[in-house]
Parts: sequence; C-alpha cells; structure tokens
Amino acid sequence: MADNPSPDAKIFSPKTRFQTLARRPGGVPRGQAVDNALNNVEETKLGFDEWFEGELNGLIDAIERAKSGAHVDDWIDAAIFHTHNLRDVGTTVGFELLTFISSTFCTILDGIKSGVECNVESLTCHVDALLLIRKKQYRNLRPDQLPELSRGLHRVAESVSIVPKTGQK
Amino acid sequence: MAERTINLRDLLILVADPSPFLCLLVHGMLRGFGANKVLEVRDSPGVLETLNGHKIDVLLCDGALPPHGGFALTRTIRRNPNNENRTMPILLMTSDTREATIKAGRDAGANMIVAKPLSPASLYDRLAWVAFNPRQFIDTETYFGPDRRFKIEGYPNGIGRRKGDGAIEVAKETGPALAQDDIDSLFNAARTGQN
Repeated sequence: MADNPSPDAKIFSPKTRFQTLARRPGGVPRGQAVDNALNNVEETKLGFDEWFEGELNGLIDAIERAKSGAHVDDWIDAAIFHTHNLRDVGTTVGFELLTFISSTFCTILDGIKSGVECNVESLTCHVDALLLIRKKQYRNLRPDQLPELSRGLHRVAESVSIVPKTGQK
Repeated sequence: MAERTINLRDLLILVADPSPFLCLLVHGMLRGFGANKVLEVRDSPGVLETLNGHKIDVLLCDGALPPHGGFALTRTIRRNPNNENRTMPILLMTSDTREATIKAGRDAGANMIVAKPLSPASLYDRLAWVAFNPRQFIDTETYFGPDRRFKIEGYPNGIGRRKGDGAIEVAKETGPALAQDDIDSLFNAARTGQN
C-alpha cells in the first residue's frame, strides 16, 4: 500500500468540471450507452480492412527483420506494438480468431522481449495464420471452429515461450 | 452499489492513442455514451500541445503512447504547476496489466487504469467511478496526484467483489497480469483521509 503522505504534504479536493458535469441528470443510462457504443463499434468495423493491412504490413516488416538475423532490439518493439494492437482491436470488435492468433503471438513476443530465445518458425506460422484474417470467411470464425490451427498455435506458444503448460498453474 | 448514469455531453474528452483505428473505436464508444466533444491525438507532444490550447475535462491515454509512454506523460502533466489541466482525471489504457505496471500508473498520478482490450461496459464503469468517487489530491515534493491510499469499498456499478477482498498489499516484484477487477481493487475507493 502506498505510504501515508508526509506531514508537509498539501491535501486538497480539486473541483473538476468532469466530476461536476458528468453527474448532471440527463445522461445516457448504462445499458443504453453500452448498446449505443456497441452499435458504433459495429459501424467502425467498416474501416477494419484498411487498418488491418497497415498493422499486418508493419508486423511483417518486423518479422522479416527477425528472419534476416537482425538483433532482437531492432525488431521486437515494433512486432509487439503491432501484435498488441491486433489483439486489442480484435477483441474490441469481436473477431475472436484474430484475438486468439494475436494473443498467442503476443505471448511469444513478450517472452522473446523477456529473454526467451527467438524461434523464427513460431513467428512465421503466426504471421501465416494472421494472413487468414484477410479473408472475410475466416475473420468471423471462432478459434474452436478451426481446432487444428488453434491447437497448433497454442502448442507453439507453449513450446517456445514462458507460458505455463495446459493444466499447469 | 446502484448503477450510476454519467452525462458526458459538452465535456471535452481527449483520447491519446497511437492507433487511429483504436482511437476511432474509443471515439465511437464515447459517442454512444453521449459525449459530443472528443479530440484525438497520436502522441505525447500532441497531448501537451492540446492541453496548452484547451481545457480538457478528461484524458484517456494509452500507456505506451509514443515517444515516452503514457505513464511518463501523466507524471509530466501532474508535476507542471503551470498546467491548468493538472488535476483533470487521467485514465491510462494499457495491455500491460502486470501488477508492477499498474502500481507505476498509480504512482504516476493516474486516476484509473483501464485494461486493454477495451469494452464499452468497462469504459463506462470506469468513467462513472471517476465521476462519482472524487479523490483528494496529494501535493508533495515527489508526488502530485490523486491520493494513492486505497481500500476496497465496492466496484464501479456493482461489479462483483470477491469474498476475500481486504486491504490491498502491492507486491514489490513484477507479478503476473491482473484482471480489470484486480486493477480496480488497486484504484478503487480511495480513502479520503477520514479513516
């Protein structure tokens, strides 16, 4: 727990506009607000393709550097940046397969960043899996609808990163 | 805890994230909540420039905002006595939910950490929590920001409380990732000096 403030600390209660105005009556009730937000997220999906291509190309550039033998510091941050973006957006827009692939990819890359030896094959197979998301028929699938792919990626992530084995705590 | 309704109309909200698409998603969520004044920037210099020209009511900032990250930016904003936005609520959005990272966000002066991936429900609840649970500010030589002393008094909009919840001990070591509920428990129900 944080330390108590020193005796010389000034303690005050700021009046912020946010706290004053956000409490006004007339706001959007939570249930309706969440529904509205989900509808807006659906509309935003229209721009997904363009965004996805940009993220994927950035990721492929980073992984190509890894494959060419570049030092891990030269590519890992870019790779992590793009895979985290893919995972975060995938989850927010409800593309579960994208979320799954990018999550196991994040696990591998976070492991490499922490010092785990880089296994180029594991990076390549994840990039290949992400290429499937370009196709709309795959984009809306869940991981359990592609069990072989899902199990394979999970096994790869287990074998080359610090992720605990299935069933192990 | 009863559900709280927030009114975001006419509040100026700044969303800072390097990903234009994620900004768009957050912007869409905020519009769904009733917000009608949302600005977007992609990096820390953009935030500081915007703060110079606008009175921002709440900042939603990516923890990894280029070039130095949202945590450093939060510290910079809080520690600048000439910044009129110094006490605005700051919510840091991050995928890195290790306990050490959450503690770093708290120590930087963030009001709340919001775990990525974002969901509309979690974002609404965290904004409601900040709106209805004002915290005193502490101003010392080494820290300026919301009171960092915490205890569990319930989650935003009644999100489940675990049976064993008690006072929070923050580990020294870097630990495993935390769920949003655990993050809330670190940022929840600030003690305002009465206890």
